[in-house]
Amino acid sequence: MATEDFRGDVGPHGSGVTGWISDWVNDHIRTVLLGPSLVALFVVFIYPAIMLVWLSLQNTRGFGETFEPTYNYGRIFGDPTFWNAVENTLVYSFGSLFVSVAVGLVVALALNKLADDYLRDTYTTLILLSWAVPLSIVGVTWRWMFNGQLGVVNRVLLDLGLLSSSFSWLTSSSTAMGVVVLADSWSRIPFAAIVLLAGLQSIPQEMYDAAKIDGATTWQTFRHVTLPYLRPSFFVAGLITWMFAFRAFAIPFSTTGGGPGGATETLAIYIHRFGIQLLDYGFASAVAVFLVSVTLVVAAGYVYFILERMEEIEV
Amino acid sequence: MAGADPTLQQYRRRQRVWDALESRYVVHLVLFLAVLFIILPIVWMFITSLKTRQGVLSPAYLPLEPTLAAYDRALFDRGFWRAVVNSVIVASVSTAIVMVLGTPAGYVFSRFRFRFDNAVFVFVLFTRLFPPIGLVTPYYRIVSTFGLLNTKTGIIIANVYLWLPLVIYIMRNFFITIPTALDEAARVDGCTKIQAFRHVVFPVVLPGFAAGTILTFLYSWREFLFAFTVSTDLRSMTIPVATFLFVGDAGIDWGAMAAAAIVAVIPSALVVVFFQRYIVVGLTGGMKG
Repeated sequence: MATEDFRGDVGPHGSGVTGWISDWVNDHIRTVLLGPSLVALFVVFIYPAIMLVWLSLQNTRGFGETFEPTYNYGRIFGDPTFWNAVENTLVYSFGSLFVSVAVGLVVALALNKLADDYLRDTYTTLILLSWAVPLSIVGVTWRWMFNGQLGVVNRVLLDLGLLSSSFSWLTSSSTAMGVVVLADSWSRIPFAAIVLLAGLQSIPQEMYDAAKIDGATTWQTFRHVTLPYLRPSFFVAGLITWMFAFRAFAIPFSTTGGGPGGATETLAIYIHRFGIQLLDYGFASAVAVFLVSVTLVVAAGYVYFILERMEEIEV
Repeated sequence: MAGADPTLQQYRRRQRVWDALESRYVVHLVLFLAVLFIILPIVWMFITSLKTRQGVLSPAYLPLEPTLAAYDRALFDRGFWRAVVNSVIVASVSTAIVMVLGTPAGYVFSRFRFRFDNAVFVFVLFTRLFPPIGLVTPYYRIVSTFGLLNTKTGIIIANVYLWLPLVIYIMRNFFITIPTALDEAARVDGCTKIQAFRHVVFPVVLPGFAAGTILTFLYSWREFLFAFTVSTDLRSMTIPVATFLFVGDAGIDWGAMAAAAIVAVIPSALVVVFFQRYIVVGLTGGMKG
């Protein structure tokens, strides 16, 4: 800051080169503060994204690359393992959505009932622990717990007399899918619970007082006060949970590797298999374009919702 | 529970059920069960990591002779310690870059109108919502073209792509909560626009900045997809990728794997324990209500 007295030859930010620079920065503040981020995003996002579309139009099987715009897209829909991956992805993402939002709601309601802040923080911390576990570690952990010979789950069930002999959870397709969905939900429950708890805490107490005065039952209050107020939170928690489960790679990959026999191969694992392991860039990119399109159609609704919210905040 | 007008009796019965559900005991029981479900897998990994090689294969629940042998095997025999160092470097550098770029950008979105400002902001959101798996294939191509396979730089660049939009969005939401009158007062007092941002508004938003930093660090720490794609050896492998070192031809060294998992979880768990409030704020990232 220039603290000297104002003299004619000195600009508002002092004299000389530094003053001039300071002036320029002041006049172009938006460019200076936002420019670097946009340049960075251009390099690390737009460039690969353009590359993605370009690759999806190339035939990359065998040697070299030839421009055949319809080649990969034609292959997608004739590939039975593609449809298998789509089906798995839907089962996986909706399964995880329902389990995490349902359990998250119960947890949020219970946390909201606690009068003691310290107690609530303690519980929240403990519940957040599963969110803190890296996703690939989540997969490894569940793989170990559900191991056919040495898994603790079998051991507990045997000891409780619920199983007569060891069951190999991860080698039969239906139970393997169940395990990965449960593992995924386990890591997303904290997020759902916290978003829903924030929603619960934003409900004005007057609404509950009014319901009490009107003689509403507990159920009616829940049904007509709590649930309507929670709608935006449900929307956010559900959509984000679903979107992340829809693109899931780390958990199914590290739990089952997509097996047994492709039973838990999600689209993300499918893309990775073709693009990185088989080096068929073109085909993997075409499938990725498909996955991105689906996500973005859903996400467009979300952005619209956020922008609606923005108006509210700014008013 | 939908039905045509229930009788008074049914009403009373339902009321009783709901009141019971709301009782303190039920609330604590629900939370106790939830916490059990959350921590048991982690506890089981911890128990496994303390067992001997034979202990892992035996049906005993608890380690009969607790030992740190598995940690020793993981960290030193298999060079897992290098992955720990890589993870610290990758997460720190990524976080520094993302916070330095993203915070001013968030400030601009919260304060200034400019041509296409909404479009640019929607673009940032769009980047955030774009599924990363979509970019893995071209990213792999680009990284190998520039000779960045098996380098920490390759992983750091991916982290910048992944978390920069998130930080811009979160920081914007924090800045929005601060009245512009503050900037104006600073300008009246003779601050330049940059000084108003740096010395007046930024200090107020410090808790938000801390939340963003912690969140970015954790996310970079746990990132798997790109790290797994870019690195295949211990020169650049981060922890989540290196856990797969324990899968060998002779099967899986579960003890070492569990030890590695615990090493990966410890920093994240500590951050959660000490900065729980920040994380809650960060996760609901300015989602008001």
